[in-house]
Amino acid sequence: MSSPLATALIDYLGALLLFTMIVILGSSQLYRTIYAVAAQSAFLAAAAAVLAIATRNLDLWVIAGITIVVKAVLLPWLLIGVVRRIGVKREIEPVVPTLLTLAIAAGTVVLSFQLAASLGAVRQTVTGNALPVGVALTLLGVLVMASRKTALAQMVGLFACENGIFFTAIAVSQGMPLIIEIGVLLDVVLGALVMGIFVLRVRSSVDADIADLSRLRA
Amino acid sequence: MEASLLWLLPAVPALTALTVLAVRSPRRLAVIDLMASLAVFLLALRLGWSVVQHGPVRSGLLGADAVSVVFVLLVGLLVAAVSVYTLGWMPRELAHRGIRESRLRLYYALVHGFVATMLLTVLSDNLGLLWIAMEGTTITSAVLVGFHGHRYGLEAAWKYIIVTTIGISFGLFGTILVYAAAAHAQGGALRALSYQAIAAVASQLDPGIVRIGFIFVLIGYGTKVGLAPMHMWLPDAHSQAPSPVSALLSGALIKCALFGIIRFHTIARGACGPEPSGTLLLAFGLVSVVVATPFILAQRDFKRLLGYHSVEHVGIVALGLGFGGPVGTYAALLHVVNHGVTKALVFFVAGDTISRYRTRNMHAIRGLIGIAPFAGTMLLCGAFSLAGVPPFSIFVSELLVVRAGLGGGHYLAVGVFLLMVAVIFAGLVHHAGAMAFGAAPAGADRSPSRLSPLVGMALLGAVMLLLGVFIPPGLDGLLRRATEIVLG
Repeated sequence: MSSPLATALIDYLGALLLFTMIVILGSSQLYRTIYAVAAQSAFLAAAAAVLAIATRNLDLWVIAGITIVVKAVLLPWLLIGVVRRIGVKREIEPVVPTLLTLAIAAGTVVLSFQLAASLGAVRQTVTGNALPVGVALTLLGVLVMASRKTALAQMVGLFACENGIFFTAIAVSQGMPLIIEIGVLLDVVLGALVMGIFVLRVRSSVDADIADLSRLRA
Repeated sequence: MEASLLWLLPAVPALTALTVLAVRSPRRLAVIDLMASLAVFLLALRLGWSVVQHGPVRSGLLGADAVSVVFVLLVGLLVAAVSVYTLGWMPRELAHRGIRESRLRLYYALVHGFVATMLLTVLSDNLGLLWIAMEGTTITSAVLVGFHGHRYGLEAAWKYIIVTTIGISFGLFGTILVYAAAAHAQGGALRALSYQAIAAVASQLDPGIVRIGFIFVLIGYGTKVGLAPMHMWLPDAHSQAPSPVSALLSGALIKCALFGIIRFHTIARGACGPEPSGTLLLAFGLVSVVVATPFILAQRDFKRLLGYHSVEHVGIVALGLGFGGPVGTYAALLHVVNHGVTKALVFFVAGDTISRYRTRNMHAIRGLIGIAPFAGTMLLCGAFSLAGVPPFSIFVSELLVVRAGLGGGHYLAVGVFLLMVAVIFAGLVHHAGAMAFGAAPAGADRSPSRLSPLVGMALLGAVMLLLGVFIPPGLDGLLRRATEIVLG
């Protein structure tokens, strides 16, 4: 595969990643955000596959495979399992009005591209627009977490944020070392498991959403 | 031999964590815990000795230089002290049903897993591995924070894991940006993540991307350190954890996160000069000291008070790094050790006090010195040390921080810092004095202390006093070498 084609494909996939992020930000249904983050992970895996072909880097195939299995299937399945177990009584209640959230999101994307454009020659080490897209996704993930009050919606934000980081990581020329990527993914899975256990334990003992507890005060 | 020490140090607690899962007897668990911790301490001393004698060691993804040795020794000392303390603390905790006997082995397994990840963090030469290990500390310690299983503990644990995980995601992004800069300057994927390789070519890195990378890392790892305004989780987590774990969280873990910031500070200094990263550290440090002050004054909960103190003291470390120069950097590293030892000591006292009075409300704790003379004395000594009073260790490092600030011409920052320290001194002496003196309430447990918590406190108290009076030549040499490495 020629390099300009790979760059163009990475940019298209980057646009799809941003689009799924907007869906997560704008949606008020928990199931929809979980499916959106699963789709986002699938696009991320596709990006890894494109780069694997373009750079003939076998490690990236492994990363694409793990991403599909872990982030596009396993983690969403875990989230849906938790949702079924606790039976979601209410949908997402945004702390900030959705329209305002989307406006902030648009500003964040523009700023990320501005930031990346200000960098010099080093930009070439990252394929296409993966750097600004990665920055934007990371920041928007935080926005999701800050604007949601339920634990599961916050976890979706966290996964989306990590997708952004991975997108930039695989697009750095040569990719990240495989052993490091696997270690990071292992942490993501373990962290998600622990969070899931916390959510279930609080739901079973006090019948409340863990992110909604606010007894501890200064 | 030296290279195998690098692997052995995290491997001993990791294997211990797996071993204790198969053990049920509380007595046997306590013995294994103590043995493993003493082994870690001895290995840390051995590694420290060999790095001082023969210079940095490296093996694959791991490596140790003078900077990492400072942190390894601190972790080793605190782990040993915590295990000694736990010997006598645990029976009381079991009696009060704070921890159920059936879950005891899980507790020890998590503590040792936590220690293994902390040691891996400070022994990582690879910046990616550093991140993985740091996230590992979050996962293991979050379960420990919520170990009591009541809603307060779980609330604190959730806040802790969510805020610090999102925080250090920023750290990962910063790491990737620096990696991109290094990959641009030189080839080889694994080499481009090796700290020693990056530090060697730091001056050739693109300053623009390294600056952005450092900002991401400072915010990311700064969340884990507890720098204001990313500190909201810290007083909750440090106050809800079981007391020996609080001692490790406050004494050792936040220092390990500081280690990450120090590594990137060195790289940023090489790439962009001392200005950008130093100024940012100074700003975050000053904000942390200022933000912590009112909460320290108005605090009622003993352990939350100590949590806010940690925010203040990591702020002081950041200030020392921000003032920079040999004096400021030396002061910051010394303060890492001093605060780690002192804060673990005071959390030991807090654990003993809370189990005697069955409350954490400082208004209900009176006359500690009457019912537990040694713990009461240690409370006063620790509080005076935290407040920066001679002859205790923190006085020395705070004085050096002030000297570095005045030497660098940061008069305003030094003025604000001294004002806050004076206010905190008054507040802390008031809190500690009220708890130590007066008449103890009738319900307080007056039974004599077990030996081992006293030994744990005495050990840390002795180090605290010793470092206030003089700095042993070996430690001084180590800190000087570490200062040179941080300054690049």
